[in-house]
Amino acid sequence: MSPPEIKGNLQLRADVIDRGLCALCGACAGICPYLVAHRGRIVALDDCAVERGRCYAFCPRVATDLDAASNAVFGAPFDTAPIGRVAQVLMTRAARENVRSSAQYGGTVSAIVAFAIERGFIDSAVLTKSDASVLPAGVLVRDPDDVLSHARSNYVAAPTLAAFNREARREEVRRVGVVGTPCQALALAKMRASPLENRNNVEKLSLVVGLFCTWALDLDSFTRFLAEKTPLDRISKFDIPPPPANVFQAFSDSTSVSIPLDEVRRFIRPSCNVCLDMTAEFADVSVGAAEGVEGWNTLIVRSERGRELVDAARAAGVIETDALPDENLNHLKGASLGKRRRALANIRQTTGSDDDLLYLELCAETRSRLLAE
Amino acid sequence: MSFGSTAERTIDMANIATFEKGTSQLLMGNEAIARGALEAGIGFAAAYPGTPSSEIIGSLAEVAKDAGIYVEWSINEKVALEAAAAAAFAGVRSIVAMKQNGLSVALDYLMGLALTGTRAGIVLVTCDDPGALSSTEEEDSRIVAKWACLPLLEPGTFQEEKDMTRWAYDLSEELKSVVLIRGVTRTSHARGDVEVGERVPPLRQAKFEPSNPLEFTSLPAPFKHLAANQKIDKAREIFESSPFNWYQGPDKPDLLIVTCGSGWFYSLEAVTALELEKSVGILKLGTTWPLPEKLVREHLSLAEEVLVVEEIDPFLEGNLKELVGEDPSAVGPIKFYGKRSGHIPVAGEINPDIVTAALARILDIEHRPVQPQYSQKALALTSQFTHGRMVGFCAGCPHRATFWSIKNAIKLDGRNGFVSGDIGCYSMAVGPAGYWQIKTMQSMGSGTGMACGFGKLAEFGFTQPVIAVCGDSTFYHATIPAIISGIYNRANFTLLVLDNSATAMTGFQPHPGTGRSAMGEPAPTVDIPTLCRALGVRVEETDPFDLTGTTDKLLDLMRDDGGVRVMVVKRECALVRARREKPAYKMRIDVERCLGESCGCSRLCSRVFQCPALMWDAEKGVAAIDSVLCAGCGVCADICPSGAIIRETA
Ligand SMILES: Cc1cc2nc3c(=O)[nH]c(=O)nc-3n(C[C@H](O)[C@H](O)[C@H](O)COP(=O)(O)OP(=O)(O)OC[C@H]3O[C@@H](n4cnc5c(N)ncnc54)[C@H](O)[C@@H]3O)c2cc1C
Repeated sequence: MSPPEIKGNLQLRADVIDRGLCALCGACAGICPYLVAHRGRIVALDDCAVERGRCYAFCPRVATDLDAASNAVFGAPFDTAPIGRVAQVLMTRAARENVRSSAQYGGTVSAIVAFAIERGFIDSAVLTKSDASVLPAGVLVRDPDDVLSHARSNYVAAPTLAAFNREARREEVRRVGVVGTPCQALALAKMRASPLENRNNVEKLSLVVGLFCTWALDLDSFTRFLAEKTPLDRISKFDIPPPPANVFQAFSDSTSVSIPLDEVRRFIRPSCNVCLDMTAEFADVSVGAAEGVEGWNTLIVRSERGRELVDAARAAGVIETDALPDENLNHLKGASLGKRRRALANIRQTTGSDDDLLYLELCAETRSRLLAE
Repeated sequence: MSFGSTAERTIDMANIATFEKGTSQLLMGNEAIARGALEAGIGFAAAYPGTPSSEIIGSLAEVAKDAGIYVEWSINEKVALEAAAAAAFAGVRSIVAMKQNGLSVALDYLMGLALTGTRAGIVLVTCDDPGALSSTEEEDSRIVAKWACLPLLEPGTFQEEKDMTRWAYDLSEELKSVVLIRGVTRTSHARGDVEVGERVPPLRQAKFEPSNPLEFTSLPAPFKHLAANQKIDKAREIFESSPFNWYQGPDKPDLLIVTCGSGWFYSLEAVTALELEKSVGILKLGTTWPLPEKLVREHLSLAEEVLVVEEIDPFLEGNLKELVGEDPSAVGPIKFYGKRSGHIPVAGEINPDIVTAALARILDIEHRPVQPQYSQKALALTSQFTHGRMVGFCAGCPHRATFWSIKNAIKLDGRNGFVSGDIGCYSMAVGPAGYWQIKTMQSMGSGTGMACGFGKLAEFGFTQPVIAVCGDSTFYHATIPAIISGIYNRANFTLLVLDNSATAMTGFQPHPGTGRSAMGEPAPTVDIPTLCRALGVRVEETDPFDLTGTTDKLLDLMRDDGGVRVMVVKRECALVRARREKPAYKMRIDVERCLGESCGCSRLCSRVFQCPALMWDAEKGVAAIDSVLCAGCGVCADICPSGAIIRETA
C-alpha cells in the first residue's frame, strides 16, 4: 500500500470542511495564517498555494494510514481489538476529594496531568477551557495548581490542538502533554507520523491523555438551543448519566436541567458519525466514565510512557486504583465496537462502496478485519 | 465625486491671479476656465472636488487672497450650487464646478434654479469623463441643458476655455439664467497657450433685494417655465453671431463634419491626416444648446453627407436631426453618420483614429488603421522596464489594512457578510487591492443607503450581516441622511467610516473633518464619532493598523444585531502623512526566518496581502522590501506568520 496522498489547503477544504467531515480537532489551525479555528468552525481566511500541507497531513478525516499512526505512537501497527491497544485496564480516581468534586467523574485526568507536571514528565499541558458562553478553546497550563481550573467535560467539540500548534512554538515549552478526544489523539499521532518537514515541534509532545468520546456537539446550533433552556453563563457542569437515564444534564449553581438525549443528538457534528474510535486508541492513556460506579473512571493504559506515569501516580498516592468489573469491561468493548460498526456503516453508506472508506486508508488485513466485524 | 486621481499640481506654478494682461500663458484647461472667471470679476467660487473638474476651484482657492475672492469646498455639489446661487442672487458673480456625477447630485436644485433665473452671472462647469478614466460612470451632462432650459457652451480650444467662461457671465446676466459649460477630461487636464485678458476685481455691493416677492423662487412654475423657454429662444438668437462657432473647409464640401469640444481637434487631425482639407468641411460649434438654427441650416445645406463627432452621447447629433426634421426642405436630403450609424462609438473615449476610420469608411478611402497588435507590442516592449501591477492602494495606505480586517472578520463570522461600497479611494476594494470585498458601488453615500435596504430584509429570510463603508469626505457628502434613515427605520447594519482625513482620490482637498478651509485657513471640525453618538447609535473607534483590534471590534459589531452601528476606522492617508513626516518604521526581512513559499506561509505578504512595497525574491526564495516604495507603516510585520518582517523605529 502506498502512503496516503498529502494535499493542500484547498483540497482539505473540499475533502473535509465542505463535506461536513471536520471534527474540529484543531490540528490544522494555528500552523499557518490561512486556517484558524473560530467559534466552532475551521475558517479559511485566504487560499494557500502549498501543494502538500501539514493541514492535510495532520487531519484525522483525510486518508489516514492507521498503521503508520500507530507505529508512531506505539512502535507497533494498528490493533483492531475493540478498545485498541491495551496494556492494562483499571478503575481509578483522584485520591483527593477536592479534585474529584471539581472534576467530571473521578478526576483521574486532572490528577495525573497535575502530577505529570509536578514530577517533570511534562512541563506544561494543553487542556480545554470553556468561557461563559460554553465556547471551548485550548489552553496551555504550566502550573499544576491550574489544572483543576480547566477540569470537567464540555461536550461541545473543541479545537484544542490549535493551542498545541501555537504554544509548542514557545521556547520555554519543551515537554508538553495534551488532553483530548479520540480524533485529537489520532491527529497528534498523524503529526508524529507526518513525512513533511517537522515545523510543529511535535518532538515536544510528551504525553497524550485521551478521553472516551461517543460524539461531540456543534457549538453554534447547540448553544443557541441550550440558551433557550438555561442561561449559558451560569452552567457549571454537563453530564450524560449512564443508561437508562437517556438525558443530557446541565448543572448551574442551584439548579439543573435535563434534556432528552434525542433532542441533543440533533446537534452532534456529522463528523462524529464516521468516527471509529470511542476510547482514544492513539493516546498514551485513555480515560472515561466507569459506568454505574459513581465518582470513578475507567482508565486504559496503552503505551510504555502511559504505564510509567500511571504507576508513578499510584505509587505517589495521587490516584487510587481498583479492578474494573468484568461486566464494565465487556460493556465498554461492546459500546466501542458499536461505535466502530455504526461509523463503518455510515461511511459505506456515504461513499456507496466498500473500496472507498472516506478517510481510512487501510492495509488489506486491517481492512478485512474491520469490515468483517 | 471622487474616483480616480488628478494631475499633481506643481508647487511653484504661475499664479493665475497675477498674470499680466496680454501675455501668453501655458495653462491647464481647468486653469484657463478659472482665469476666465477671474477676468469676469467673480467673487464667489464653490465646489465639491471631482476628477476631472477639481482644479477649477482648486486653482481659484490658491489665489483667493490675491484675487480678493471667496472660495470654498462645499459639503457636496448641491450645496456648492446653492451657495453660489445665493451669491449671484445677491449680486456677486459666482462659479461652481463639478464632475458629471456631481451634476446629478446638484440636479434637484439646478432644476429649480433654471426656472428661477439669476441676477448676477453664475456659471456651472461640468467636466465629463469619456471612457470613465477616473469615474464610476460616463454619462453625458449636456442633456441637462435641454432638460432644464439652460444655455450650453462647449470650448474646443484652451483660449476658448478662458474666453467662453469670461463671456458666459455677460450671457448669464443678459438672459438672467445660469450658463452651463461642458468640458471633458482631455480639455480639462491638457495644457495649451492662452492669451490672458484683464482681471477684474469683484464688486463689493452684495445685497439681497428681490424686485418682487417671487423673483428668487421658481413660482409660479408654468410662468417661469415659459420664461425659461423664452430665454432659450433669446440665446438662440445671440448664438447666431457667436465667435465660438465657425466653419473651415471648402465652399461645397463632399462631407460636412459637425462637431464640438474635443471632437473638434480630433476631427481636424483626422481631416489633416487623410489630406481631405479640400473635400471635407468642419463646422465647429461652441454653443451647442440651443443650436444657432440659421447658421447650422446654412452649413447643413452645403453637403449631402454629414458626420457628427462628439464625446459620449449623440446629443448634438439628435439636435441636428431634430432641426432638419422641422423643415427638411430648408436643407435638402442629408445622410447622417455618427453614433446612430455606428461610425462613432456610443461608449468610451473617442480619438483621432476613430474619426479617421469613420471618415475613411464613409468616403471609401484606403486607410491603414493602427494595427490591433500595436498595443500588445507596446506592452511587450515597455513591460521589460516595469513591474506588472494591478490598480491598488498605495504602500502604507490604511485602506489595505482595513479591508484585510474586513475580509477576515467576514470569513470568521461565517454568515456570508458583505460590503456595500461607496465612492472614494477605497472603491478599489471592488478588486484585488481590497481583496474583492466591496460588492456594490454606485454613487456617493449609496453604500449606506443600500445597507438601509439590505438591513431590512430579515423578514424575507435574509441572514447575512451587512457592512457599509464610506470615506470621511463621503460621510459628510451624502452618508448622514442615509444613517438617519437607517436609524429611524431600524435597519440592521454596521457602517465603517474609513477616515483617512483627506479627500484623497481627487487630490487631498480639505473637508469638514480636517480643520482647514479651501483657502488654507483654520476651520471648525465636525467630529464624526461625536456626530454619530449624538444620533444615538453605538459607535466604536479603531486604528486600522491594529489588525486584531479592528477585526475583533468588527466581529462584535456584526454580531450585535441592534440596528445601525458605526465604527470609525481612523488613520491619515499615507500620502498626506508622507508630505509632512518621515516613515514611522524602517522595515527589513529576516531571511533566516522567512518561510517563503513553504507550508506555514505560502508567501502571504507578497502573494495575498499584496502591498506594492512587498516583493518576492524568486531567486533566493524569500520576501524582500522595496525600500523606495515602503511607507514604513509596519502593518506587514503583524501579518507575517513567522516574525520575519522586522519593524525598526526609523
Ligand atoms: C466531547 C466529549 C465526549 C465524551 N464522551 C464520553 C463518553 O461517551 N463516554 C465516556 O465514558 N466518557 C466520555 N467523555 C469523557 C468524560 O466526560 C470525562 O472527560 C472523562 O471520563 C475524564 O473524567 P475525569 O473526571 O478524569 O475528568 P476531569 O479531571 O474533569 O478532566 C476532564 C478533562 O477534559 C478536558 N476537556 C473538557 N472538554 C473537552 C473537550 N470538549 N475536548 C477536549 N478536552 C476536553 C478538560 O480540559 C479536562 O482536562 C467525553 C468527554 C468529552 C469532552
